[in-house]
Amino acid sequence: MTHQRPADSRTVHVEGLARVEGEGSLLVEVRDGTVETVELEIFEPPRFFEAFLQGRRHTEAPDITARICGICPVAYQTSACLAMEDACGVAITDQIAALRRLLYCGEWIQSHALHIHFLHAPDFFGCQDAVELAGLDLSAVQRGLEIKKVGNHLMEVVGGRAIHPVNVRVGGFYKAPSREELAALVEPLRRARDAALVSVGWVAGFDFPDIEIDYRFVSLRHPDYYAIESGRIVSSEGLDVDAKGISDLVVEDHVARSNALHARLGGQDMYLTGPLSRYALNYGQLSPLAREAATAGGLGTVCNNPFKSITVRAVELVYACEEALRLIEAYEPPDPPAVAVPGAAGIGHGASEAPRGLLFHRYELDADGLIRSARIVPPTSQNLLCMEDDLRRVAQANLSLADEELGWLCEQTVRNYDPCISCATHFLDVSVERR
Amino acid sequence: MSRGVLVAGLGNEYRSDDGAGPAVAAYVSKRMSSVESKVISEPLDLIGVWDDADLAVVADATRSGSPPGTVQLVDLGGGEDPGSSAGPMSSHGMDLPRVLRLARALGHAPRRVVVVGIEGENFTDGVGLSPVVALAVSEAGELVLQVIDEAVACA
Repeated sequence: MTHQRPADSRTVHVEGLARVEGEGSLLVEVRDGTVETVELEIFEPPRFFEAFLQGRRHTEAPDITARICGICPVAYQTSACLAMEDACGVAITDQIAALRRLLYCGEWIQSHALHIHFLHAPDFFGCQDAVELAGLDLSAVQRGLEIKKVGNHLMEVVGGRAIHPVNVRVGGFYKAPSREELAALVEPLRRARDAALVSVGWVAGFDFPDIEIDYRFVSLRHPDYYAIESGRIVSSEGLDVDAKGISDLVVEDHVARSNALHARLGGQDMYLTGPLSRYALNYGQLSPLAREAATAGGLGTVCNNPFKSITVRAVELVYACEEALRLIEAYEPPDPPAVAVPGAAGIGHGASEAPRGLLFHRYELDADGLIRSARIVPPTSQNLLCMEDDLRRVAQANLSLADEELGWLCEQTVRNYDPCISCATHFLDVSVERR
Repeated sequence: MSRGVLVAGLGNEYRSDDGAGPAVAAYVSKRMSSVESKVISEPLDLIGVWDDADLAVVADATRSGSPPGTVQLVDLGGGEDPGSSAGPMSSHGMDLPRVLRLARALGHAPRRVVVVGIEGENFTDGVGLSPVVALAVSEAGELVLQVIDEAVACA
């Protein structure tokens, strides 16, 4: 990054964005005091998972797609299972659905604890990473680790492994954990919930840039609870569709600078998925304790400041711990642990809420249950246009900053999204150019 | 509180040669069942597992430019600089040098950390090691056992 005094025209280029997954860079061009160009350049090669799936059995999709991402494999497995069950016309039992939701809570706890304490919080202290942050606030880093460990443990008990769970199959699970195995998680989850409440207070005290953006929120909504693993897709503008509906509506465009596709609703409108959207559209379904934590953390029923997404994630962390406790208390081991899902010709859709946003899959199967075509739309590619729009606004409002500070703020703006470039390729370095 | 020796096999068995670390840990576990051995997929998860060990031997796949199958030993001792990180911290985890620095900052780092690596050839999705990497597992495993034997003899 170059060091120079602010000028009316300049370029800030950050090469190799830190604390985001994958490879990409960020270019901001300023001409005569106006931000003219903002480009997220994504150059991690596409992973061709969609092509790789063609010809594979319908039962293989959860395990194959889980490999796309090391931090949200449950999201990929769940969306794939939902789509295959939809394609084959099979419904799972309530007990299997509850166990699927419990596993997903483990992933939310793991992912949110990591992003809040290790990846996002260092920004607010001017630290390069969590190692530097530990020198300033050791207890916060320790707390994040303890919470993450509980998420790992939950993933191991239900999913068989903390990373890339092996116990998930189309139709349910290979083996249902016993009540005793889950009971052992109750005390650790209570401690994690209490620690997450402390973290809400901690992040709420950060110094947030003053910005409000009128987002088009899109997320899942479930009639009975805060949507995680299933539901319809709704928006702040009245959209209400099923997984097929969102797949039909979202058009993805390829742009030359990026390997990731850019998604638009109806081919025209950018939209936001992720914590801010889930919170705005489903606030009333948070638990009373999570809502109290949100209020204590300075949040209203809607949060339009992308930098405060860290507070929303902390509130969701409280919720995920509480929800896991509720599910364990009500647990009835599914017997059998999976329903049979024979392969059948058809088209199926599935959508779930990965920690960083909506993830939907679409598969077409032949009569033998072999995959004829696959479409996987991850949250980061859905959010790329909003990221660029946020960057334009943040850069324009902070042109008085020197290039180094402006570059840092731009990187922070991207990290608000907890983006997964690897998942989206099919993304980061930052430059600001002033001319 | 001292915890003796820990062998950690670091890697993802579903990314081909990234499974070299877990394979070496399995080899050591078979040859010396008394030693505590764990498979760790993500370096950050070493914290909590290797806390306060006298010796932690981390078996891992490497990508250094050496010929595939090359076995390397890096003794990070008790306080040496663990070296530079491979790149910017990812949203999906921290690399071994950063994790060791963090463990030291947290005050629970092992007293000594030794890394035994096998140079990988193929890190794409899939199960199974490349033949040249599979052949190097026993050499790396024996090196781990030698490090443990020498550490115990000096204790």
